[in-house]
Amino acid sequence: MSTTLAGMLFIASLIAAVALVWKPFGDHMYRVYSTTRHNRAERVIYRLLGVRADAEQSWGVYARGLLAFSVVSILVVYGIQRLQDKLPLSVGMKPVTDHIAWNTAISFVTNTNWQAYSGESTMGHLTQMAALAVQNFVSAAVGMAVAIALVRGFARRKAGTIGNFWVDLVRGTIRILLPIAFVGALVLVAGGLIQNFAGPHEVSTLTGGTQAITGGPVASQEVIKELGTNGGGFYNVNSAHPFENAATWTNWFEIFLILVIPFSLTRTFGRLVGQVRQGYAILAVMGVLALASVLLTNVFELSGNATVPQAVGAAMEGKEVRFGVSNSATFAAATTLTSTGAVNSFHDSYTPFGGMMTLVNMMLGEVAPGGTGSGLYGMLILAVITVFVAGLMVGRTPEYLGKRIGAREIKLASLYFLVTPALVLVGTAFAMGSAEQRASMFNSGPHGLSEVLYAFTSASNNNGSAFAGLTVNTPWYDVALGLCMVFGRFLPIILVLALAGSLAAQAPVPAGAGTLPTHRPQFVGMVVGVTIILVALTFLPALALGPIAEGLS
Amino acid sequence: MSTPVLEKRRVGGGLLDPEQMIRSLPDALRKLNPATLWRNPVMLIVEAGAVFTTVLAVFDPSFFAWAIVVWLWLTVIFANLAEAVAEGRGKAQAATLRAAKRDTTARRLKSRAATEWDVVGAPELKQGDLVIVEAGEVIPGDGDVIEGIASVDESAITGESAPVIRESGGDRSAVTGGTKVLSDRIIVKITQKPGESFIDRMIALVEGANRQKTPNEIALNILLAALTIIFLVATVTMQPLAIYSKLVNPGVPDSLALNADGVTGVVLVSLLVCLIPTTIGALLSAIGIAGMDRLVQRNVLAMSGRAVEAAGDVSTLLLDKTGTITLGNRQAAEFVPVDGVSEAELAEAAQLSSLADETPEGRSIVVFAKQHYGLREREIHGAEWVPFTAQTRMSGVNFEGREVRKGAATAVMKWVRDAGGHPTDEVGHLVDGISASGGTPLVVAEKGRVLGVIHLKDVVKAGMRERFDEMRRMGIRTVMITGDNPLTAKAIADEAGVDDFLAEATPEDKLALIKREQEGGRLVAMTGDGTNDAPALAQSDVGVAMNTGTSAAKEAGNMVDLDSNPTKLIEIVEIGKQLLITRGALTTFSIANDIAKYFAIIPAMFAAVYPGLDALNVMRLSSPQSAILAAVIFNALVIVALIPLALRGVRYRPSSASKLLSRNLYVYGLGGIVAPFIGIKIIDLLIQFLPGMS
Amino acid sequence: MDRMPGWLRQHLAALRAVAVLTVLLGLVYPLVTTGVAQALFHHQANGSLVEGGHGSSLIGQSFTDADGNPVRKYFQSRPSAAGDGYDPTSTSAGNLGPEDVIDTPDRKSLLTQVCTRSKAIGELEGVSGARPYCTPDGVGAVLKVFPDKAVSVNQACPAVPFVATYEGRRVECARPGEDYAAGRTVPVRGDATAVVPADAVTASGSGLDPHISLAYAELQAPRVAKERGLDQAEVERLIRQHTTGRALGFMGEPAVNVLELNLALDRS
Repeated sequence: MSTTLAGMLFIASLIAAVALVWKPFGDHMYRVYSTTRHNRAERVIYRLLGVRADAEQSWGVYARGLLAFSVVSILVVYGIQRLQDKLPLSVGMKPVTDHIAWNTAISFVTNTNWQAYSGESTMGHLTQMAALAVQNFVSAAVGMAVAIALVRGFARRKAGTIGNFWVDLVRGTIRILLPIAFVGALVLVAGGLIQNFAGPHEVSTLTGGTQAITGGPVASQEVIKELGTNGGGFYNVNSAHPFENAATWTNWFEIFLILVIPFSLTRTFGRLVGQVRQGYAILAVMGVLALASVLLTNVFELSGNATVPQAVGAAMEGKEVRFGVSNSATFAAATTLTSTGAVNSFHDSYTPFGGMMTLVNMMLGEVAPGGTGSGLYGMLILAVITVFVAGLMVGRTPEYLGKRIGAREIKLASLYFLVTPALVLVGTAFAMGSAEQRASMFNSGPHGLSEVLYAFTSASNNNGSAFAGLTVNTPWYDVALGLCMVFGRFLPIILVLALAGSLAAQAPVPAGAGTLPTHRPQFVGMVVGVTIILVALTFLPALALGPIAEGLS
Repeated sequence: MSTPVLEKRRVGGGLLDPEQMIRSLPDALRKLNPATLWRNPVMLIVEAGAVFTTVLAVFDPSFFAWAIVVWLWLTVIFANLAEAVAEGRGKAQAATLRAAKRDTTARRLKSRAATEWDVVGAPELKQGDLVIVEAGEVIPGDGDVIEGIASVDESAITGESAPVIRESGGDRSAVTGGTKVLSDRIIVKITQKPGESFIDRMIALVEGANRQKTPNEIALNILLAALTIIFLVATVTMQPLAIYSKLVNPGVPDSLALNADGVTGVVLVSLLVCLIPTTIGALLSAIGIAGMDRLVQRNVLAMSGRAVEAAGDVSTLLLDKTGTITLGNRQAAEFVPVDGVSEAELAEAAQLSSLADETPEGRSIVVFAKQHYGLREREIHGAEWVPFTAQTRMSGVNFEGREVRKGAATAVMKWVRDAGGHPTDEVGHLVDGISASGGTPLVVAEKGRVLGVIHLKDVVKAGMRERFDEMRRMGIRTVMITGDNPLTAKAIADEAGVDDFLAEATPEDKLALIKREQEGGRLVAMTGDGTNDAPALAQSDVGVAMNTGTSAAKEAGNMVDLDSNPTKLIEIVEIGKQLLITRGALTTFSIANDIAKYFAIIPAMFAAVYPGLDALNVMRLSSPQSAILAAVIFNALVIVALIPLALRGVRYRPSSASKLLSRNLYVYGLGGIVAPFIGIKIIDLLIQFLPGMS
Repeated sequence: MDRMPGWLRQHLAALRAVAVLTVLLGLVYPLVTTGVAQALFHHQANGSLVEGGHGSSLIGQSFTDADGNPVRKYFQSRPSAAGDGYDPTSTSAGNLGPEDVIDTPDRKSLLTQVCTRSKAIGELEGVSGARPYCTPDGVGAVLKVFPDKAVSVNQACPAVPFVATYEGRRVECARPGEDYAAGRTVPVRGDATAVVPADAVTASGSGLDPHISLAYAELQAPRVAKERGLDQAEVERLIRQHTTGRALGFMGEPAVNVLELNLALDRS
């Protein structure tokens, strides 16, 4: 079988798998977030937390709970890193440097999982599992909670509340993420991932040298890293590491885990608003963008159009033999289309346009399908903006799912799509304006610019992947990227929750022939167009001086 | 009131007169004042850019820099021109109105019973003052007639030269200041506050003096501001990237676009101006003003822009049956004779009984007899007319020994029986049959025997069914309001093709219906003229009061139709929709334009450092300078080119949202992408020979 | 509890939530998973160690001697950027870009690295190490073009430039220390076709890639067979034996596990 055909079958089988679970899994999540019953474990947890699980919250209260939880999380993750040598299972690791610990704490709490450190030489096992992996779970659950809150805003009529943050957080964790993680971890161990608490142990190699075989609870962290679209690897080289991604089929399984929640949430959305077809429409938007991106990335990488890949004969630099070019490209697209940021190959060495695709995927705002929860709410914001322009064109005050998109709604949506590009561009400009920060670039010329642009795009969009050449464990980058991650995560969340509150308070307008239908291909096409054009228009100058200049040289 | 002809008058507007543009130029220049321009953030940024590049051009002059400067200023002026032209049309109307607002004096009565008055200036009148107005005098202020009846010339405000009748009591009591009494004498109770007369408000409205931004306009402005900010960020942050790119390519000489300090100020501003949504930013307020203006041209005064927008959102339309759906009077539709009587005989009797009957129903019988039975109207002499009275409930004629009557069934049957006749059951069946079909039966009898029944029918105006079908396609539900019984109402509703009806409607029923619709999230529009309509008019989202109506109704509604034509509501809805569509279409066009501009400017800026980027110069523009200048010129000219569209509004044909969107996307989305590629290329071909362009 | 202000209750709940979830997700979950994994998949959970304890079948190794020269009787792994090569405590990719073609005093360009590796492997296996965009002496064939001359920037003087002239300009060798940044960069493809496979000249993403391509294994087979005095067919058979095909026929690429192959050779 030809490499290209195998690569296409790989993509097709992933699509088939996601399609297969979309309905049952989406329905499951719908039940999780809409039932009024608490199971016994949850009741125990609510008692421990001291919260009234049946009390609904206004958007303000919901947001305050979320922020409080995130602040405490940052402090705890920071603390564990700084004290890891005093804690068990440190496997000889020293306390993490302050600016790296700060950056990492933010990185994992914001679901970015940007790694300014090298896992195998920085983090002890306890830090990995009790600080980092815990955030892998809860930051994903927070994202889903926000998405569900926004959907409730659309679904409710004249309501003052949008749900209960603690309930959404706990349910998402216990009923959705944890069971899949447990089973998935065992599947991955079967494929060769390690799961132990040993430190590195030295072996003598065949030719008489020595090699340290590392240990650690890798599988249990790997699974949630993909499922929660987190992406922070146990090791520096992330999912390229054979202990994180041992076989060709674990690679498939990991991509599946990355995609399953973000895509299935569209079903949950459709169910929650009581119109399954609206879920199909959002799914279609995500699907079109994702498929186009995956195919383009594959085309660019397989054709290997750049000097070095031409010299080599294939774009194999930074890629593993077992995955090959195509499956690596597919993983790269999946990880940047979502907010995962795990890598099984190194984007820095991609062809200019292949690398640009990963950048563009993130610049889209990670909406196709995006992070757990964040993808859905990001896409719904784009739908709101599309509805606004399109709605005017049919001669009515724009409305989406029966809710009017007025001045307040458009203000919140506009601010949402302002935040991330502003962070990316301002951050990149500052870094590129300073000779000292430019010195962190590993590559020269336009590729160096791409490295910096990539770093700020990844941090601001909470992706976490890197054009890994850039030296980012300097205080300046740790602080700057940390700020991008915080603002890139929580400003949009606050805006989304405010929007949820404002929508929930409205009485829905019944749909009629004069209402813009938001479930037809026409609307799907428009959202796709708006998504691409908004991105292209904002980032084209920067892209022109980076990957486009490199690719057209 | 002239009977409205239901011609297919589509929402359109006056043509744009080039002279208008020139006339508005001084206004456009005055609007360059930043204090005026701050309301429009997009154009304010352009003006700031124009000032900045002017300074740059003064210190570092080149033909290219000055050309850009000139076109940036033109961009702002064109935007101002659009607004000035739109306002100019309103001003012309205001001038006409002002002519009507002459300072008049009023004869103010001490009390209603008083016979004495004092003469005061019209502006001194207060609410509640009573004034007396006689033939030839101008009514000094808005008010209600409380005594007397008069014919009034209202042409000053309505443009309609036929005089109208105003009388105390009832729904035709309102008079407007500035109109002229032609006959008789009336006492008017002033209802306006000093300086807030109807004409004052009209002038303010058409001039757009205190124009408030409408909700959708505010929302759109926010979106445009956000886009402006993001492009500002994108262009400013490009600078360090450009400096770096120049730095790592030391072999590339400085150019007019790029040097060691990055992209030159003139080019950077050009890029920014081309990217921010200047097209819609320039035309947004003109669209709003022109929308109001289109209403005024149809003799509708909207008290707020909000109401016009709401009209586009209306999903339920309440229409009075009489005058709106039907011609207002029942007409003879059929003569049904009883057994043993020929149709011709019945027709002759019916005609005879109606010859002197000047009611619309009576006239329609004569007309029907003529059209269908060839009976000419005849002059009869010596006849004794029996007029209709509330007691007899029938009318007729005694002529040459014949006694013919027509009227309500019970009354005529009684008359027949009293005369010794024995009407058969057949008559009862005929009467019931006609009633059941929604018609009104008039029994015709001649001395002791019933001849037959005239079927009077409400006549639905021509073209109404098509109109309502259109409304349905637009997603608007039509509800007919009538005082008729449910049976009659249903028959007419079916014939007219409305979606629903409210029979035996009282003002309370109407109000309840509106509230019920609004509870379901629907916006309701209605027309009304009577005082008892006022609560419903106030409650409805779009309440159009008839100018002939009471001042209470006019106060309660948010629009006044000077033609008092209830069908106007449909046009108002179309204008409201058209207003929103025009905004949406031009926004789409504006954003879609950016793609071509990028393809013009990015290679122009950076192809020197990265020659590969010349591949993006898909238009093959002749040089970087001409590419940038062409983009800026296109950006400015497209504003001028679209002023007529902004003023006229995007073509609107009632159809489903989906179809509308497809069409507008095709024209303004796809067109917006393609047009600038062509336009910029043409401009480039023209300007490439200018000095400094290569 | 209820007397507490709302904001404080939120923060207390946040504190408790982090604590409770850390215990559940950070301790209970990994411990239980480890327990079950150790019971069910003991071999994999502990790193898939090979017989004899010479490492893990999933972690690639260098088959070089103390001086870093290839041990000729072993199949060689891919180039590695992990530490000094295949160091699991310092995993890394090369991270150089696809247009990294000009050497600097600090480091060789990716192109030159590729060319140098290709040349070395060619010599080791006794085949042509030539590649497109590579000079015969194994660096990147890249010119900096100036109006009056061209410089083969990766060939330091006194090397002989790989072409004598370029578009009428004389091509010079690169004088160390001279700044050629102002010139136009022109990589020259040449007419060579590569014999040495792609994976042999590129660093993997992990730096620990345990596999090589079938093509690279077959390229090495004659040398290994000769070195070990084995029949080449036998070596080829062992290669097939230690080749993992695509999972389900379409996932990934066929790959030869180098450590397992070398172990098998040692055993045979």
